[in-house]
Amino acid sequence: MMNWNLYSRGDKIFAIVVSILIGMFTIATLYPFIYIAAVSFSSGFAAQAGKVVLTPINFTLEAYGYILKDPQFWISYRNTFIYTIGGTLMSLAFIIPGAYALSRPQLKGRRFFNLFVAFTMWFNAGLIPFFLNMRDLGLLDSMFGIILAFAVNAFNIILLRNFFEAIPQSFEEAARMDGANDFQVLWKVFVPLSKPAIATITLFCIVSRWNGFFWAMVLLQSEEKIPLQVFLRHTISNLSDDDEFAIVQTAAGFSAETVTAAIIVCSIIPVLIVYPFIQKYFEKGILLGGVKE
Amino acid sequence: MSGVNLSGIVKAYGALQVVHGIDLNVAEKEFVVLVGPSGCGKSTTLRMIAGLEEITDGDLMIDGRRMNRVAPKDRDVAMVFQNYALYPHLNVAENMAFGLRIRKMPKDQIKTTIDDVAEILGLTPYLDRRPADLSGGQRQRVAMGRAIVRHPKVFLFDEPLSNLDAKLRTQMRAEIKRLHNRLGVTSVYVTHDQVEAMTLADRIVVMNDGRIEQIGTPMELFNNPANTFVAGFLGSPPMNQMKGVLTETGAKIGNTELRLHGAINGHQGRDVIVGVRPEHVTLAESEGTTALPINLDLVEPLGSEALLHAHHGEDNLVFKADTNGDINHLYGVGTVHVPAHLIKLFDAETGRALNLGA
Repeated sequence: MMNWNLYSRGDKIFAIVVSILIGMFTIATLYPFIYIAAVSFSSGFAAQAGKVVLTPINFTLEAYGYILKDPQFWISYRNTFIYTIGGTLMSLAFIIPGAYALSRPQLKGRRFFNLFVAFTMWFNAGLIPFFLNMRDLGLLDSMFGIILAFAVNAFNIILLRNFFEAIPQSFEEAARMDGANDFQVLWKVFVPLSKPAIATITLFCIVSRWNGFFWAMVLLQSEEKIPLQVFLRHTISNLSDDDEFAIVQTAAGFSAETVTAAIIVCSIIPVLIVYPFIQKYFEKGILLGGVKE
Repeated sequence: MSGVNLSGIVKAYGALQVVHGIDLNVAEKEFVVLVGPSGCGKSTTLRMIAGLEEITDGDLMIDGRRMNRVAPKDRDVAMVFQNYALYPHLNVAENMAFGLRIRKMPKDQIKTTIDDVAEILGLTPYLDRRPADLSGGQRQRVAMGRAIVRHPKVFLFDEPLSNLDAKLRTQMRAEIKRLHNRLGVTSVYVTHDQVEAMTLADRIVVMNDGRIEQIGTPMELFNNPANTFVAGFLGSPPMNQMKGVLTETGAKIGNTELRLHGAINGHQGRDVIVGVRPEHVTLAESEGTTALPINLDLVEPLGSEALLHAHHGEDNLVFKADTNGDINHLYGVGTVHVPAHLIKLFDAETGRALNLGA
């Protein structure tokens, strides 16, 4: 229990201001989610009229019924899983060995390579050259292209490299004396010792892949290859100027707003399920920079 | 034979040379201790034997085979690190088994080996524990166990006891000695602690500034230090060194002339350093001793003996004296008696030991 008497006037004011700010931040973060969930369970009429504030109005599951019946929803849902799992594995396959190499003092030209990697964080080719590059590589409208294109992320490499660098040199030396080669040193010593960092990076990859929208929209044309986020976008644009849909929806009790909200809720659920399991690593990982041996 | 031979070993980092051509032969089953102050190149030398540092020049032979370009894992040497370097994510048994697994030893054989070594080191009850749940002494034992299970040709120890408290250090020192007597594996041990060096070594190698100052058995080095550095490094407290000049019959230090043993042989007038071990002086006069007047500064009781801190002229001196259960009589000491045959002489310029009789 906090003993208020031990605090000076300034400390008390500080504590109160901080609490208010945290409260406001919590509401600002939580409210959009609550609002979207409430809209998805409301009737189309109520949503259109802007009556939904905090709780569902005229509770109904019609919007969910509508999207769950759409085969394209399931296809894009599946695609998102493929891009997320495949992309994350691909990223880890590049990031872990890359970070290890960059963290080793014996790497020839280490400064250059480190700069080279960091450089891409500040400067990159930009939209058009990247698109042309993908086109010339024959990776347009390709699922593999999406998985490969964003596999290497400089920030994640540097994060993990810093973690590897903080591991005492003697662990590597002991493993070498024990007969381990580079790969075994990495796999049997560094990776197990870096679980928090790797979990953090995995989470970063999962979230960015799961929410990946822009490049998927630019690079993919076929409906059967698009991820959920692009499907969401298609749905929004289709519904909002579809007169026929407007008639159907009034009869059925849902609207463009409630369908959109339902898709968003569906797309958030897997992240909500996974997050608690890696949260403890995530919190540790955020502190990575501050940890010294 | 599983000896280690170093000839002309040089280590340089760019233009900076830190080890300047070391020659050393470690015989099979021998326990050799490299000792010296921080930065003297002893750890670097050990790491070159291990293969963790590249050898700039010279030849390293282990078991008759040139090892300069052989990877650490293929040298058949095991090393105990200063910070133990136990893998935190593995338990004691897995830590010890790590090297064996990598070398693809069959599982049942690994288990037998681990059990045997754990038994020797008293680690059997702790095999399932992680390093974080062990005491310093136990971690130290696991680190040794990890080295022993591989049955290497050579053990390398890099200041393995420096992270332990004084009491544990004494215990582990004895354990290392017992273990060496039992296993008889050629060992090279690095320390900056001269007590560890004296107690453990078959032979001591005193290093300074990237060079070997002297190699010999502990008693050889103690009794006949090759120079003032070795004299000042070994012994606790180290040998007292006083500036003096040789006369017809002895060495003159300030106004006092210490009688020497043997002939001066025409070296009269030569500037020397006179070395006297703290434990060699007596408080009572006897045959063959010279009185050395001192100004007593401080008495430090250690129990059965006491350290007398004193000065003679500009030279600060430390002597050992028996307390016989009481230190009061030591406060009045104004003279110590130095036995002539135990006085050491060194050249004042080079610091090298002088043997005038020869």
